[in-house]
Amino acid sequence: MEITLKVNGTERHLAVDVRTTLLDALREHLDLTGTKKGCDLGQCGACTVLMDGRRVLSCFTLAVAAQGAEVTTIEGLATEDGPLHPMQQAFLEQDAYQCGYCTPGQILSAIACVEEGHARTDDEIREYMSGNLCRCAAYPKIVAAIQQAKPQMERA
Amino acid sequence: MPDGTTPHFGPATIRIDGRAKVTGAARYASDETVENPAWAFLVTSSIARGRILGFRLDEARAVQGVLDILTHENVGGEAEKPKPMAGGDTTETMESDRIWHDGQIIAVVVAESFEAAREAAHKVRPDYEEEAPSASFGSAGVVEEVRKAGEHKDYRVGHAERAFRDAEFRVDQRYGTPTQHHNPIELFTTTCEWRDGKLTVYEPSQFVYGLRGNLAKQLRIAPESIRVVSRYVGGAFGSKGGITARTAWIAVAARRVRRPVKLVSTRDQGFTIVTYRAETRHHIQLGADRNGKLTAFRHEGWEVTSRPSQYNVSGTETTARIYACPNILTKVNIVHADRNTPGFMRAPPEGPYMYPLECAMDELAFALRMDPIELRRINDTQTDPATGLPFSSRSLMECFDKGAARFNWSARNPVPGATRQGDWLVGYGCATAAYAANIGASSARVTLTPDGRARVQIAAHEIGNGAYTVLAITAAEQLGLDVADVAVELGDTNLPAAGLAAGSNHTAAISHAVAKACDGIRERLARAAILANDSPFAGGDPAAITLSGRALNGPGGAQESLARALARTGEGPLEVTAENIPKGLPPDAMEKVRQGQMAMSRGHSRDDVTAYAFGAQFVEVRVHARTREVRVPRALGAFASPRIVNPMAAHSQYMGGMIWGIGAALHEKTEIDPVAARYTNDNIAEYLIPVNADVRSVEVLMVPEKDETVNPLGIKGIGEIGIVGMNAAVANAVFNATGRRVRDLPIRIEDLL
Repeated sequence: MEITLKVNGTERHLAVDVRTTLLDALREHLDLTGTKKGCDLGQCGACTVLMDGRRVLSCFTLAVAAQGAEVTTIEGLATEDGPLHPMQQAFLEQDAYQCGYCTPGQILSAIACVEEGHARTDDEIREYMSGNLCRCAAYPKIVAAIQQAKPQMERA
Repeated sequence: MPDGTTPHFGPATIRIDGRAKVTGAARYASDETVENPAWAFLVTSSIARGRILGFRLDEARAVQGVLDILTHENVGGEAEKPKPMAGGDTTETMESDRIWHDGQIIAVVVAESFEAAREAAHKVRPDYEEEAPSASFGSAGVVEEVRKAGEHKDYRVGHAERAFRDAEFRVDQRYGTPTQHHNPIELFTTTCEWRDGKLTVYEPSQFVYGLRGNLAKQLRIAPESIRVVSRYVGGAFGSKGGITARTAWIAVAARRVRRPVKLVSTRDQGFTIVTYRAETRHHIQLGADRNGKLTAFRHEGWEVTSRPSQYNVSGTETTARIYACPNILTKVNIVHADRNTPGFMRAPPEGPYMYPLECAMDELAFALRMDPIELRRINDTQTDPATGLPFSSRSLMECFDKGAARFNWSARNPVPGATRQGDWLVGYGCATAAYAANIGASSARVTLTPDGRARVQIAAHEIGNGAYTVLAITAAEQLGLDVADVAVELGDTNLPAAGLAAGSNHTAAISHAVAKACDGIRERLARAAILANDSPFAGGDPAAITLSGRALNGPGGAQESLARALARTGEGPLEVTAENIPKGLPPDAMEKVRQGQMAMSRGHSRDDVTAYAFGAQFVEVRVHARTREVRVPRALGAFASPRIVNPMAAHSQYMGGMIWGIGAALHEKTEIDPVAARYTNDNIAEYLIPVNADVRSVEVLMVPEKDETVNPLGIKGIGEIGIVGMNAAVANAVFNATGRRVRDLPIRIEDLL
């Protein structure tokens, strides 16, 4: 069926199966492959995107149900050669990744974690970031990246 | 080239591929775009042993958008079985009607969309003739055999049986490690596209030339007609090292439907369509005198494999050479069950085999009333006890001493169960980590362009190891440029061949090839310079000319800019391709790599030295006095290496390995239904890997080490050693906290009630 999604500030028209997930719509129909499929079962967090500012699992969201929402993916955080979002910059500087596959989901989740007010302490960050698995186990550096980016996000 | 005689840690460098990774621009295999792809969905067997009598496909074919359904009946002859990297043979998939294990690929549905392929796959109805399967150790019908010498060997030094019998102090225990699955977050994907008889495969791989060579054999076509592309790999840990069955079938499917075909397998399929770490059992006997000096060491292991495979990891090749001991005896047995074929998983031999040795050492220290570090000091050696060769370097006790000081080991109470803080029992444990220093053959091309930039091209693999950055640092250093001046291309069989990214050998292998190509550039520039009358080096010695600061530099402060020197070698860029065949490998090693075979010099099978990396690992655990929940508030690893190319990424590698170790000790286990021979927790909610909240302080100390023989650049691998000592360090800490010795991993609440 024909649907319209608002992704990273742009309206996109596409034809999808009613069963198509937001994740597959982004990846396979809109070529926004920064959002990753790690389990398709809502277990790993690699497909995390923001919908109206809230973090959601795009593998657990049907594309048709995402109509009318503002969807933000990793590609929406910085222009191609422009400055990075403070969270992206912090992930770079803290080496808060290795293979990079879970990283887009981690970064979007981390931004939401700060904006939700769930980044007050290291322990709170660990708890509220535990829905995003990192098999390379960059966890301590992800916590450090969030601590680095948080004051910059709050100032902005 | 710089050498390993002086320890050298490079500048901590932000990954050059970091921006691509944090912006979503990095293209992993399933992110590569192909025109108008059809979608594949795998159908896997729901029985573990038997035959397929036939398929009822009407319902599946009726699904709108279905293009093709592949089974052994229509494509069985179109591909041969894949050849694993080790262990000889493996199980079949659609080559025949035979079912070898649960979750085996039995059909591939191809459709216009992912959704249609998935729906139809669930409507494929196979009819089976089922036989009772054998699941694991202890199941009826398994076949046990002694592993013969071949890929691995056993060690017999002195008279271990007699020495053990006569020992004053003895540890005689059995240990076990569970089935584990790699579970990289990236799923196992394959996209195949045929164009004019040539096949392009996009698949995450730790060995693109291996995938190409082996796929060519399976499809009976020339390797040159296949291109494999794998620019970024979303975690591998061994699971993407050898070719698996899916690839050939997706290639066959793409040929049949005359369109690119894309497969993104499911998380549960990842438990059975690729390899895993098989469960192991161990019998350890340690004999010692009253001073703690080892007099006897026996280690016998048992490992599960599939029916046709001889795959085993034989970690006794490492445990036999950790401590000085005059009497050593090792043996390994393999147990064939109705299971998929296991394969490499991070520290394949050392993970499961060092665990029992390092627990047994802790048990011996306790029996002797001796500090566990002192027991290791008494038995430390600079000579490989299994062969009598010297270690190329071995800074084990330096790691223990630096680590112990930093960890505050002296605060440990040696009395088990005696330290309590509130509701928590506190314990400290330590263990030795060791991993062979391996290095494979590799080639590389380096191009210097007139604008003062360099391009490195090599079919190496970025699996989180930081390969892009390691090569940029290496080339920049060798050519006298900045890291930002170097572009790196990897992961493509159109580039010069590199070997398997496994066995912690990759950084060593590819850095040497790139350094050699850079040295070729230096030599060409230097030779041109000494022949030119207008050069400050005219008539000089080309070997005395070095590259640094974007210039050629010679004796007496002679200097010339790189641009000027380059202009002298001809118009345009200067390109050099080089091969590095490490000492001890045959001259055809590089050709073997190009053909897709492994060619690696292993640290334990050299004829001049035994080359290993060593480390010491420390863990504090807290066990809740009432619930028996186990937490790890602190872990510390001290690891020795002569050279660290990028300390920033190296820190992450060591740290990630240590957290893997926490997972292996306390969380990870693939549960197997003993009747159905089926993995029951085949998803990452029930297969427990550490999450952020499981990890607190993980500290890494990098200990500089002098080593003149390991390899010219002095690079010991770091990707796997981080996991090696953690299992035992955690188990030993749990004993110190509770007085409970758990010998079967993982250690869970129910073991401590």
